Amino acid sequence: MGRPTQHSRISIFRYSSTPSLQSSRGYFLISIRGLRKWFDSRRGRVEALRGIDLEVTEKEFCVLLGPSGCGKTTTLRCVAGLERPDAGELEIAGTLANSAAQGIYLPTEKRDIGMVFQSYAIWPHMNVFNNVAFPLIRGRHRIPKDQVAEKVRIALKLVQLDGLEDRPATDLSGGQQQRVAMARAMVTEPKILLMDEPLSNLDARLREQMRVELKKITKAVGVTTLYVTHDQAEALSLGDKVCVMYDGAILQMAPPNEVYARPASLFVAQFVGEMNFVKGYVTGPSQVECPLGKLSLSVPTGISVASPVTLAIRPEHVKVNSADGMASGLSGNITSKNYLGDAALLEIEINGVTLLAKLAGDSDLAVGQKAMVNLPSHRWHVFP
Amino acid sequence: MKAETVSGSFGQLFDTKKVNGVGLFAGGLTVLLVLMVGVPLLMVILMSLRTGFPGEGGPLTLANFMAVYSSPGTYKVLLNTLLFAAGTVLVTISFAVPLVWLLMRTDLPLKGTIYVLMTVGILIPVFLRTIAWILLLSPRIGLVNQWAAQLFGLDRPLVSLYNIPGMAFIQGVSFVPSAFFMLAAAYRTMDPSLEEAAYTSGVSKFQTFLRINVPITWPAIAGVMVYLFMSAIAVFEVPAIIGFPARILVLSALIFTSTNPPTGLPDYGLAGAYGAVMLVAGLTLAYFYVRLVQQGKKYTVITGRGYRPRQIALGRWKWAALAFVMLYLSMEVFIPFLVLLWASLLPYLQLPSAEALAQISLNNYETIFDFVDALPFINTAILMLAVPTGTMLLAVLVSWIVVRTQVSFRGSLDTVAFLPHAIPSILLAVGLGYLGLAYRNIFPVYGTIAIIAIAHMISWIAYGTRTTNGVMIQVHRELEEAGKVSGASTSRVLGRIVLPLVAAGIFNSWIWISMLSYREVTMALALGTRKNLVISTIVWQFWGNGWVPQVAALGVLLVLFAVLVVGILKIGFSRFGGEFASGN
Repeated sequence: MGRPTQHSRISIFRYSSTPSLQSSRGYFLISIRGLRKWFDSRRGRVEALRGIDLEVTEKEFCVLLGPSGCGKTTTLRCVAGLERPDAGELEIAGTLANSAAQGIYLPTEKRDIGMVFQSYAIWPHMNVFNNVAFPLIRGRHRIPKDQVAEKVRIALKLVQLDGLEDRPATDLSGGQQQRVAMARAMVTEPKILLMDEPLSNLDARLREQMRVELKKITKAVGVTTLYVTHDQAEALSLGDKVCVMYDGAILQMAPPNEVYARPASLFVAQFVGEMNFVKGYVTGPSQVECPLGKLSLSVPTGISVASPVTLAIRPEHVKVNSADGMASGLSGNITSKNYLGDAALLEIEINGVTLLAKLAGDSDLAVGQKAMVNLPSHRWHVFP
Repeated sequence: MKAETVSGSFGQLFDTKKVNGVGLFAGGLTVLLVLMVGVPLLMVILMSLRTGFPGEGGPLTLANFMAVYSSPGTYKVLLNTLLFAAGTVLVTISFAVPLVWLLMRTDLPLKGTIYVLMTVGILIPVFLRTIAWILLLSPRIGLVNQWAAQLFGLDRPLVSLYNIPGMAFIQGVSFVPSAFFMLAAAYRTMDPSLEEAAYTSGVSKFQTFLRINVPITWPAIAGVMVYLFMSAIAVFEVPAIIGFPARILVLSALIFTSTNPPTGLPDYGLAGAYGAVMLVAGLTLAYFYVRLVQQGKKYTVITGRGYRPRQIALGRWKWAALAFVMLYLSMEVFIPFLVLLWASLLPYLQLPSAEALAQISLNNYETIFDFVDALPFINTAILMLAVPTGTMLLAVLVSWIVVRTQVSFRGSLDTVAFLPHAIPSILLAVGLGYLGLAYRNIFPVYGTIAIIAIAHMISWIAYGTRTTNGVMIQVHRELEEAGKVSGASTSRVLGRIVLPLVAAGIFNSWIWISMLSYREVTMALALGTRKNLVISTIVWQFWGNGWVPQVAALGVLLVLFAVLVVGILKIGFSRFGGEFASGN
């Protein structure tokens, strides 16, 4: 890998890694340390961000996931420079963009970013071509006039909108506006792409289609992406790394499979994926008593005997067999069945606790039947 | 089986009957509105084609038009009108646009107070503001010129208001609050991320302002400019109070003097011929206004969550910005009010001095009833109650049909109700006056307070229906349907669900129309006789007689009463209806 040349800037949508960053800050393209932000409202100070630490490496797709008001959009807008943090530091591509302590604030227009807004923010007085060309003509990365058309063409081809150059922005469908917004954000080949719930205004089918495409495009181009969503399915399918946020803090930062398989806290377990919860209390070093009986599970260190805990298990890990005498396990009644086509959801009542079980395909079990339920001990999560 | 078909056809019959009932009602209402709006306009056209007194009959003739358009004086008047209107728009826009930006986007301090003072600005009648500024800047009696003569020994006045720029200045300042509220409403529907998208594309703040903000806001600003131009062509107060003495005539002043000449007989034919030009100009501009508003709507994008844009920190410019706002508010509110207050406390207008301070008294207030009897006060009270009640009643019925029913001509009904926006009030009044004079036997209200009330209602039905449309749209149809589905009767649904939700908005407009009627002078003057005087026309008469201290005293009372009424109602209102009212 040679030194970045002038040519690498011009090469369209083919990002080369920039070794100069490696020495100073590793491959971190976004580096956030102790970011805090508060708003003064009538009811006093509201902490929007309570100290965010986050690092995004080059070409990584990082998703900020959380319910509304958790601070994910504020974090994104701080990276964009649209909000000024009250404390902490922010580095973009090795340049200090924000430092509350040193009073440094790099204005949005000087940051090497592209951004897709929730409302798409397509300029209504311009056509598609002018929307995409605007950053090249008026922005930071001005290029010679004769190259603009070619760049715009390639960007539109990337989002499969070639041929719509002359369409007025007000005549575009939601999905098309979304694509124009993508093309506009990427046309300058920014180091960092920021996306603020870009799919939330699309209908369900289009959203899934765009999700797949979005992943393809960002991977093909190799742009480092910070993506905000409240949709956990979107986060799991898109992210190389998922940060679950709540109340202005990051609760867990891990690859999606790890967030799903090993939620770090009760909130993450509740927020990501379906989960059964059972209240209980610790009775021994690896024993928990709950309405389902005494269960032998590994209790995390730090939870003392006799303290109350919440047990959690995913529906797909609840094993259900018909009670034909051969099967062992807990005995319960099937109280409802919800057939989904590729799977069936069963609600099973055991000792006054209702557990949700997800079985692949259809099953012969029906409402009113007795069933034997197995709960593998290594599938349980224990939260204080 | 049989029973079913019978009940089926019965149901059908009942349904068609019901639709017909609504349709019939809607038809009747449309006819009423068409008559209210159309007949005065028809009268303007009719009078332009007739010579002689109203009701004299005679053949239709183009003599009036020939007389008017062969006179070179007419073109001078048209030029004056255009210059005055253009100047007014210039003044208004150069204050209103920065004000909208400062109040909507920056961290300017004292925003709440500024909003209140702008509302007060609307409540000060334009003719009182004009009079106050004359007391300050008149070449002869104006305080500034007196003071300049004293101080520098000038033998010529320092400044004079008696010219077109002076007229445009006063009128322009008076238009600022309405322009501000129109622009602010348009601004609120605009998506702030359009601007942020430019910043994230690496575009500088200046380029963003030039290439994004200006073009996107342009339809809204242009729409307001056209609206202001249309209004400025039709206004009468400033042209009458400043223009007449300075011999600067504009169209509205000519129309008024033709029908109310200081000497000689009224000539409705000439007024009609002048009015026809104004009408054509007004309707043409209204058409462009509607077009621009539609274009502006196309530019408003449905945004995701209502992310409030970051307020721009003014930093050390904060005080300069506040000074600008205060300069404007001084011209709009403080200076006019203080000048009137000062003049009202003195036996004659004089510069502040120890001598003047010694003469301060409430004498002018105490002796007001030596100059005026109780009738104008009673008449004004009648207007303040009857006009808003009648207007809102009509507006609610119109909006109910436009928003809630499927009547095929509901769109036309809405257009008819909007039309008075484009009709100059002076024309409306002159047309109604002609109707009252020429067809006394079928429209026997000439010279009564009723004819002024009718003129006011026609004039503000447009404003009334705009607000009731908005209020009705806000109350989603499903709220009503949810009530019906839960088993409540139609009357109960209306009383318990719809009415509480719309009451706040309707009450709000009721107060506003009451206040507009209270301070209105153009139509009251054009339709005025000795029997239907109202307070505003009394002040006008006082001014005509040169009774400056009495004008000032009555003017101060007029403003204080309005501010008090609106203040008390708003405060009381926010106590128990605040959450609904906040939407308006």
